[in-house]
Amino acid sequence: MNKRKKILLADDDIDDRILFESAYRNRNDIIVLPIAINGVEVIQRLESTLAPENLPDLIILDQNMPKMTGKQTLSLLKADQRYAHIPVCVCSTYADHHLTVDCLKLGAYKVFSKPITDEEYQKMMNDFLGDLAVEIAH
Amino acid sequence: MGQVKEYRDLVQENETLRQQLNEANDTIDAIRNGEIDALVVEGKNGHELYTLNSADRTYRSFIEQMSEGAVTLNAEGIIVYCNSSFANILDTPSRDIISHPLVEFIPESDGKNYDDLIFLGWQQEIKGEISLKKKATLVPVQLSITSLKMDEGVALSIIVTDLTSQKQILNALKSNNEQLEMMNKQLESSNHDLQQFASVASHDLQEPLRKIQVFSHLLKDKFAHELSDISSVYLGKIVHAANRMKVLIIDILNYSRLSSNDRNYVLTDINAMINELLLDLELITKEKNAVIRVHELPHMQINPGQMRQVFQNLISNALKFCKREVPPFIEIYSRIVTVKHPVLDYDVRCCNIHIKDNGIGFDEKFSKNIFNLFEKLHSKDDYDGSGIGLAITKKIVEKHNGQISVHSKMGIGTEFILTLPIDQEPNE
Repeated sequence: MNKRKKILLADDDIDDRILFESAYRNRNDIIVLPIAINGVEVIQRLESTLAPENLPDLIILDQNMPKMTGKQTLSLLKADQRYAHIPVCVCSTYADHHLTVDCLKLGAYKVFSKPITDEEYQKMMNDFLGDLAVEIAH
Repeated sequence: MGQVKEYRDLVQENETLRQQLNEANDTIDAIRNGEIDALVVEGKNGHELYTLNSADRTYRSFIEQMSEGAVTLNAEGIIVYCNSSFANILDTPSRDIISHPLVEFIPESDGKNYDDLIFLGWQQEIKGEISLKKKATLVPVQLSITSLKMDEGVALSIIVTDLTSQKQILNALKSNNEQLEMMNKQLESSNHDLQQFASVASHDLQEPLRKIQVFSHLLKDKFAHELSDISSVYLGKIVHAANRMKVLIIDILNYSRLSSNDRNYVLTDINAMINELLLDLELITKEKNAVIRVHELPHMQINPGQMRQVFQNLISNALKFCKREVPPFIEIYSRIVTVKHPVLDYDVRCCNIHIKDNGIGFDEKFSKNIFNLFEKLHSKDDYDGSGIGLAITKKIVEKHNGQISVHSKMGIGTEFILTLPIDQEPNE
């Protein structure tokens, strides 16, 4: 059995942070790491993680954040050898065609519109984990 | 009589006659070439002047009738002749012009310009623009100056072309062009602003809207048991309204995005595209018991994403506006036609695609309006929709250099006809 996946979210919106945490509080296949409030904090958090096995298994970035957008953070992460292997998702209230294409080109794992119902939250995470499992199996 | 000329006399006489003949020939040539307009002939009463009346009259009537002004100046710059057109340009009788120096009619500001033109005009043929005083106003004219050498001395012949209407036309053209350019710029910037606005507004509107959706769903899912029946109804209305608004915003966003140029034409199998689309619509098709018959359609150069939306909008409309008691029957068929290019006069191979239904139809007097943004013929309680679908459809068809038209009869059905070029011009 796989061990629980560590998920790091960055979102400046407090509602979305609460929604994210409460949606996944009861799942036993993931661990929601303390949520970052912007991209700068994501980088700092990774920098202060000493053991590579403690790095997150998946990073989810909100696109519209002050200081550094999701897209900017994504390109920084992909340019850094230490973190380039970590799958990164970018999400937005409405992930349009342009954002999707731009982020996929930068190496994003997935780009999605933020869920609305709890059902959608669970489905989104299942999709991530399912595809991740396939990737790991390869 | 009987006087016998000597051979020498005969030779001399012959020589004199030959000389006279040559002179006569030269004179005839000169007359023919227009080098002479008068002859001085030695007659019984001394020298007599014979003018070539006919030639002179012809030239004079030419000059009098031409629309340009004609002026002759003597060496002192005095006007010795002017035609009636020149008098008209100055709006002054010719008796007040002839014997006056031409410089009298030149405004001070053009004095140097005039002096230079006349100076050069004595050396060579020259043209130049200048103003003439016409009473209190100025007339822009062109002077074409040629110097003439005549027996009586030298003279300047000047043709004067009135440039007033030419200048007016030029000015009008210039100001029209400037206006057009300005309007073009304004249009461009307002178009840009509009796109910008639609995009920003749509994105920013969606954030709070999503919160409304998220929290009303949370209330509905987690606290349903705490809500009274009427509260649940109200909550349902909030959810429904928020969903509608979401559809509206995304439609506006899609519409505004169509303005930006996206010429991404691919040769596409329209039948395959529609079949794929019908799979997406399978649920509603079954629900309504609808039959959709698609005949053979050609392969065409289209933007697949956009054209898919056109068919999706039209088929969805046909399914939506169906009669309650009759299952929808939708037929899609095509015909190849040649259409004259709207600007250039050549034939364009086009395809007329008909999308015909047996739905509720509408009054044809609305057939233009239905393509307008936010135009709806039904209240949202009867038929849901944003009123943007057909506007998007029309815009996409027009971006493909095509046209869309509609025929409809109340209670009979509606038929949309797309006329689309089969091949798109590679560069426009």
